[in-house]
This record gives sequence, C-alpha cells and structure tokens, in this order.
Amino acid sequence: MAEKNIYDAAVNQTAKDAYFTASQGQLIWTRFKKQKAAMVGAWVLVILILSGIFAPFLTPYDPTIAGRDKDYLNGAPTVPQFCDDNGCSLRPFIYALERERSAKTNFRWVTTVNTDKRQYVQFFVEGSEYKYFGIPFDTHLFGIEDGYIHLFGTDSTGKDIFSRTFHAINTSLAVGTIGVFIAFVLALIIGGISGFYGGWVDSFIQMVTDAVRTIPAIPLFMALAAFIPATWSAEERFFFISIILGFIGWPTLARRVRTHLLTERNQEYVLAAQLCGASSGHVIRKHLLPSFTSYIIVDLVISFPYMVLSETALSFIGLGLKDPVNSLGVMLQNVTSADVLLNYQWYFIPVIFFIVLVMAFVFVGDGLRDAADPYGDTKK
Amino acid sequence: MIQFLRFATIRAALAFFTLCLVSFIVFSLMELVPGDCAERYLAFKNSQGAQISIADIEAERVRLGLDRPFFERWVKWISGAFQGEFGDSCILRLNINQLLGQKVWLSIGICLGSLLVAYSIAIPVGIIAATSRNPFLNNSLRLVSYLGLALPNFLLALMIMLFSTVMFGNSLTGLFSPEYRDAPWDWGRIKDFLSHVWLPVFILGWSATAFAIQTVRALMSDEISKLYVTAAAARGVSGRKLLMRYPARHALSPIINSLGFDLNRIFNELPIVALILTLTEAGSLLIEALARSNDQQLAGAIIFFLTGSIVAINFITDIVLALVDPRIRRSILG
Repeated sequence: MAEKNIYDAAVNQTAKDAYFTASQGQLIWTRFKKQKAAMVGAWVLVILILSGIFAPFLTPYDPTIAGRDKDYLNGAPTVPQFCDDNGCSLRPFIYALERERSAKTNFRWVTTVNTDKRQYVQFFVEGSEYKYFGIPFDTHLFGIEDGYIHLFGTDSTGKDIFSRTFHAINTSLAVGTIGVFIAFVLALIIGGISGFYGGWVDSFIQMVTDAVRTIPAIPLFMALAAFIPATWSAEERFFFISIILGFIGWPTLARRVRTHLLTERNQEYVLAAQLCGASSGHVIRKHLLPSFTSYIIVDLVISFPYMVLSETALSFIGLGLKDPVNSLGVMLQNVTSADVLLNYQWYFIPVIFFIVLVMAFVFVGDGLRDAADPYGDTKK
Repeated sequence: MIQFLRFATIRAALAFFTLCLVSFIVFSLMELVPGDCAERYLAFKNSQGAQISIADIEAERVRLGLDRPFFERWVKWISGAFQGEFGDSCILRLNINQLLGQKVWLSIGICLGSLLVAYSIAIPVGIIAATSRNPFLNNSLRLVSYLGLALPNFLLALMIMLFSTVMFGNSLTGLFSPEYRDAPWDWGRIKDFLSHVWLPVFILGWSATAFAIQTVRALMSDEISKLYVTAAAARGVSGRKLLMRYPARHALSPIINSLGFDLNRIFNELPIVALILTLTEAGSLLIEALARSNDQQLAGAIIFFLTGSIVAINFITDIVLALVDPRIRRSILG
C-alpha cells in the first residue's frame, strides 16, 4: 500500500516536473491538443497545404492553357464510378465523351456521353512535365489513357478546374506567406523599436501606426494595385500584390509586439539581466524574443486568413491577380455571372475549397490563441 | 470642466494630426501614380485632333500648379480638403464635389446602418453566449460567427443577387428605382431608398455582426469571472439585474472604443459589395476611379472622406467614453 503511494507520488512529481520545465511551445501544444475543433481544423489545414504543395503531382493536367482540353469547354464534371447497367468493376471508370458535328446537331459541335464505352482511371500515369527543385517529373497520381478526366469539370477555355483549384491553393498560400512574412518583419522592427525604447519614440511611432490603421485597407490596396502597369507579367503582379498585402498588414501586429515588449521589459528578469551587465542586444535576443515567439506565431496564424481574403477580394475586383494565374481569387471571380449559376454550377467547387481553407485557418488560429493564453486554464 | 475641455482639445488636435498624416500618405500615393493631370488633359485634347507639343504640357502644368514643389501642393490640397474643396477630377473634368455630391453621405449612412444592425444583434447575442453554459448553443454561435468571417461579403452578395435573379426575376441591385434616381428627396424616394438599401446593409452587417459577437462575448466572459461580480452575486443580486448593472457596463466601454475600427472594416468591404450590387454611391465610384480610369484626384478625395469619418467616429467615441465611463472621467478630472 505504502509502496503504491510512493509510486503515485513519484508519477505526480514527474508530471509536475514535466509541467514546470516544459517550454512555452510544449505547453501551448498540450493545451492545443485538447481542443477538438482546432485539431480538426489543423488536420484539414495540413491536408490543404500539402495538396497545394504537391498540386502538380496530385492533379492530372497542367492548369494553364497548355493543359486544356479543347474539345470539352465548360464541360460538366466527369465523376468516376464503379457500377453501371453494364455491371461493376473494381477499377473506377468514366464514360467516354464523343464529339460530333453533323446535320443532326445543326452543324454545331455537340459533346455526348457514350455510356457503353468505359475509360478506366489509371494511377501513376505519365503526363505533363513539372519540376521540383529543378528535377523534372512527369508522373501524375491519376489520369486516363486517352481522353481527359475532369473531376470538377472544365472552364470556358477547357482548363481542368480540379487542376486549377489545387494550383490556386498553392498560389494563394504563397501570396499569404510572403505577405505575412513582410508584415511580420516590419511589425517586429517597428513594434520592437517602439516597445523597447518607450518614451517619445514610442508615442511618435504609435501615432503614425494609429494613423495608418485608420485608413481603410482595401481602398488603399486598390489605390496601390492601380499602379501596376498593364504590361507586367503574372509573376511580377504576384510579387507586387504580396508585397502590398505585407505593407498594409503590419500595424496590428506591430501594436501587439509593442504592447508585449512594454510589459515584458519592466519584468524583474530583464532588470536582473541588465544588472548583470547584459547588453540591449543580448537582452532582446536571449530574454525578450523567447518570451513572446509563441505569441507572435499565434498572431501570424490569425492574420493569415485575412491575407488570403484580401488577395481574393483584390483579384475579385480585377485589381489583383489575373486569369492566367491560378489563385483562389481568380477562381472566385469566374463565378460572377448568371450563366455560371444557371448552367455551369461546377464553377462553384473552388469556392468550397476557399471557405474550408479560411475556416480551417480561423479555427486553428482561435485554438492557438486560447492555447497560448497562460490564464486559459484558470478561467471558467 | 477645464480639464475636460483640455482633454477634448488634445483629442481634437490628435484627430487633426491623424487626418493630416493620412492625407499626406494618400497624397503621396496619388503622386506616385505614373502620369499627371496635365499629361492626361492634353492626351485627351490630342485624341480630339489637336496638335500637342511638350511646351503645351509644360504650360498646362504651370496652369494647374503642378510645377510647384510637392510639399506646397500637399499643403494646398489639404487646406482645400478641410474646406470641403477637392478641385477637379482631371479625367472626367468635373468638380469633385459635384461628382461625389450626396454619394459620400449615402455610403457613410449605409456603413453606419450596418454597424447599428451589427451591434443591435451582437450585444444581446454576445451576452447570452458569454453567460450560457449550454455547449450546443455556444458551439453553434461560434460556427455561425466563423462563417461570417470565412464567407466573404462579396460572395454572399453575389449568391443573394444571383439567387433572386433566378428565383424572382428581380436582381435587387442599385439604390433607387429608375424613376427616383434623380428625383429630389421626398417621401416616395425615401420609401424607395429603404426598399433597396436593406440588402447592402444586411450584407455589410453580416460579417460585422460576426466580429462584434466575438468581441462582446470575449469581453463579457472576461468581466463575468471577476471578483466584483461574485461579490454582487453574494449580496443577492441575480439574473438580468446582475448582468446589466455590473459586467455589461464594464464591457461596454471597450466596445465603444472599437467602433471606429469596425467602421474601418465595413468601409473595406463596401466598394466590393457596391460593385456587385451596382450601388450608386462613393464605394463604387472609388473602384471606378481606381480600377477603370486611374483618376487620382477622385480616389484621393474618397479615401480622405472615408478616413475622415473614421477619425470623426474615433473622436466622438473618445469624448462619449470620457463622459460616460466614470473611470476615464476620473482620470481626466484628476
């Protein structure tokens, strides 16, 4: 009996030790794992990010005009199936599409589905070439031998919407990442100076930050995006948009950094380090930065969906990325006609991906914020 | 009283300073756009068949005062702006005030309306969400408000518009019926306006409500766990009285404080929603000015107006807070 007590106490002690010696990251992770919604969000997010990164492999076709299916414009999704009237097969198949123009069709091209002819879905097929780290690959996860497979249908130029969607996730995430990174660096420098030095430097910087914050961001975006000369290539536009997003996103982050630094720099441990003769640089690097890296990461995750949203909003009104580029905003722009709603509903499929992506980010961001709050457990 | 006046003056000076700084940023941006007014004006003349030389462009520049140094032109612009005079748009060659007219007030009205709708929903719902222990209610509220964040307004506007076009044959767009478009304000026009304006107000209010519910909920749950609430409960105050008299009053002041930024967020969404619903107000004019014609003067004036109204709201909320919140009142009055 007594032995068991000692054993329990030891286990308790280990748990306590683990708790008290855990780094901030570990503590946040432990609390984060407890939140079901945030964990689901995190999984969805990881899957979406990976599918964005591996888009060229996961999707059967090149999302540009090179990979278009010129015989199947505005085509409905071809959904693979296992069974039909002619029996079942283990390998999923789609029906062959036949295109004809004759007196019967009033001399227009008409695409018909031939339900008697099956085309089986193949895995790891060879297709258009793509590169990772400069090494060319041409294997795609799935495809069919001859003809095309369009899981989400095609758009008005015959580009595969499935391929476009996955490449769009990649682009939108890249824009967001660059934007967040620039905003982060600016926020760290400006907020850092403001918070570390305090006094009149702080007051002045805060005044400027507040002024920048009162300008509505989207109208300002539009003013900046209007600078882009029409002659710029898609890549130049892409980088310019990301940079603009970064330059407008910094004030909120800078404020958080500053507030945190202002409270931390008056803590006893900073005073202790200073009394020991540590230089400003040392205090910042060794004491202040580690004290709030986790909070900054949380803030970055929270600000990410707004970057993606801003990109879509800009592209949507035609000031951001434009059609040959695949971004979620461009995909959303394509749904803006009554024709789409009435006849080509599959254009809306990327919208679902967009909403899921933003939702996943918001859930993870919220979960992280709760997890990073050191008083989160004591409340309620 | 003197202290209060001093406080108000400092606030007003700060607001003025903010406006100047903002106008400086906006003005510099306008200057950065390639091509100036003189070139555009003469390019237009050129397209009409007149022969234009470099000397003509220079002469036009002098006439428009574009040869003056940057700072001087900014001072001129800003002093005009404070008197409500923005000069002429060099693309449309019309006075900007005439172009904007009541459109700015319509836009600001729509945005304030959405803000009002957002908070009249968010305050009761947020308080209920913070006090209720019902996990189902809490989770569904959370989901709804996340959806408000994740479903962009322009998408919502688009869906509603397309849906009503297909279902009812009425696209619900615009702010006025054709017969009232240029009519003077009278009872019929107001009724017509109200029958159109609810949709933009609803769409803009949609995500604003989602944000506001989050804020109210967070503030209320912070306050509810504080000791003074427990103390009041121990004294026998309970139910609605407890909520209204203690935590709700405390939570109110940060909410008033955040109004300016909520307005900012709505202004962000206004131009895009306006574009989809083809509203005839400043937001769509802004897109027109920026995206289609690159009209810097007009765009600058609109951004200045929008920012000005945010600064004004911030100033008003500061003053109201100083009057309403005894904590701030004390810190001012010493």
